[in-house]
Amino acid sequence: MFLNIGRVMPEVILSVSGLEKSYDEVVAVAGLDFEIAKGACFGLLGPNGAGKSTTLAMLEGMEDPTRGTVQYYGCPLPSDYQTRVGIQFQATALQDFLTPFDNLKLFSSFYDDPIPMDQLIDQFRLQEFLYRDSRRLSGGQRQRLLLALALVHNPEIVFLDEPTTGLDPRSRRDLWDVVSALKADGRTLILTTHYMEEAEILCDELVILSHGKTLLQGPPKQLIADAGVSDLDTLFLSLTGETLVKTQEVIE
Amino acid sequence: MTSIMRSVRRMKAVFFARNLEYLRDRASFGWNLVFPVLIVFALAVVFSGPPRALFTVTAVASDSLPELLEFPGIETISSDRSKALDRLSRQQTDLVVEVVGDSVRYWVNGNSASGAILELLLKYTEARSLERGETDGEAIRYVDWVVPGILGMNMMYSALWGVGYVVVRYRQSGYLRRLRATPLTKFEFLSAQVLSRLLVTLTASTIVFVGTNLILDYKMVGSLGLLFLIALVGGLAMITLGLAIACRTESKEFADGLLNAITFPMLLLSGVWFSLDGSPNWVQMIAQVLPLTHVLEAARAVMLDDAGVTDIAIHLAILIGFCAVGMGLSIKLFKW
Repeated sequence: MFLNIGRVMPEVILSVSGLEKSYDEVVAVAGLDFEIAKGACFGLLGPNGAGKSTTLAMLEGMEDPTRGTVQYYGCPLPSDYQTRVGIQFQATALQDFLTPFDNLKLFSSFYDDPIPMDQLIDQFRLQEFLYRDSRRLSGGQRQRLLLALALVHNPEIVFLDEPTTGLDPRSRRDLWDVVSALKADGRTLILTTHYMEEAEILCDELVILSHGKTLLQGPPKQLIADAGVSDLDTLFLSLTGETLVKTQEVIE
Repeated sequence: MTSIMRSVRRMKAVFFARNLEYLRDRASFGWNLVFPVLIVFALAVVFSGPPRALFTVTAVASDSLPELLEFPGIETISSDRSKALDRLSRQQTDLVVEVVGDSVRYWVNGNSASGAILELLLKYTEARSLERGETDGEAIRYVDWVVPGILGMNMMYSALWGVGYVVVRYRQSGYLRRLRATPLTKFEFLSAQVLSRLLVTLTASTIVFVGTNLILDYKMVGSLGLLFLIALVGGLAMITLGLAIACRTESKEFADGLLNAITFPMLLLSGVWFSLDGSPNWVQMIAQVLPLTHVLEAARAVMLDDAGVTDIAIHLAILIGFCAVGMGLSIKLFKW
């Protein structure tokens, strides 16, 4: 999929083959195959229950697949995989009564060679709320802190699970700037999102999921052009007609 | 850097973070002080009843007891001779009687006025031949006896709730899942929780011990070092019990129920507020499988009877067994 005539084929950092995950009778992921290029921003899109978070958890090494494999540079995930990836979970609490400063100090101490705290504080603009109880941060401040915590050890791959859900438009755009800067650093980013605009702006490659299966895969611009639609939003609705139909049913 | 040094560094970080969280949680800290007072109040209401007996007699044999023991105002409890004489020397009982064949053997404490009165009554009412024995020893005030109970109870609540409930809260909020995505291991996380809570428990117990002694001047005749060892091992036993409860529990409400199911029997049956001497055998058997019972029996032996390490070795061994089982189960079953 990353084969472009006249260009060097990017190195594959993660590859997924026949990936499945079931919980008792429920099939969350029903056989996925894709590759993620090093340095790319890779998006997993889909409606609620499509299997995005489960797929992400298996890529993160947090869940074992029921069948299939996730490979890192063509090999099984190494034992120190957690030191090579940074994860921003969709819903994460931090310890009560600790400030962003305390949290940065705590998470930095888990790694051998963390990024200097001053650098993280500047990069994620944490100064104004550095010594505030983390429970009293706004949504945008909290997401910036969680992203900083995911990056304390300078990981090669960063996972972002719906990083802008619940944020106001300004905070969302702030976070896009941060993510774009990470991308410019050459890190591999893997994100899930509900926002089509976000996926279109940030992602180099997308997989659109429904009921644990791949509906469509490719670079956003190419997917839009191939489908002959104006934007990813329209493409998404045409693919997951269920949502559109349901919306119409509600209107009627 | 070796893997052990890395491990120690991570444990130290989690240890300090947990201490910080505890120290900044003023409401919880305050509650830890208020709660024991509420418990005392609740027990005072629950156990209020008819006035206590005027005299207490401990019977070593239960057959053909002297007629005196049937008089109103005299409470009779059964015990073995050794325990009965210990109680007599502390003036926790006024008279010990043992029927041997056709004669009645009895012991009084030479320093006890109640004992002297009972001796006169026994001579006046008993037709069988009497054989006298005597012990001595200062009276143990209730406060001398109950202080180890209060310290032990605080330790139990602090250890079980401070670890068990907190770990379940971390799990429910997703914080454990966040930690799992770091190189922190289960062992490092659990050890840091244990050490942090042990520090809190020992510090709080020491403050209460010293502070109340300054005010109440209760009896402490044994080794302070040995008492600290009991607090250390007892604290560890209860902290690891809390961890074992929390190792898989996902609901705070369920954790509440489990912790209550463990703390209430210990509160009632481990001898926190009253002695279990004279209670039915099955009650005493249940008490022996509760860690708090061993903490209190060992602490009272040291504080009141100047017991040495060999005297309390069995209690220490049982508590160490609780630690090993609790920590082993926690590490084996723990789920982030």
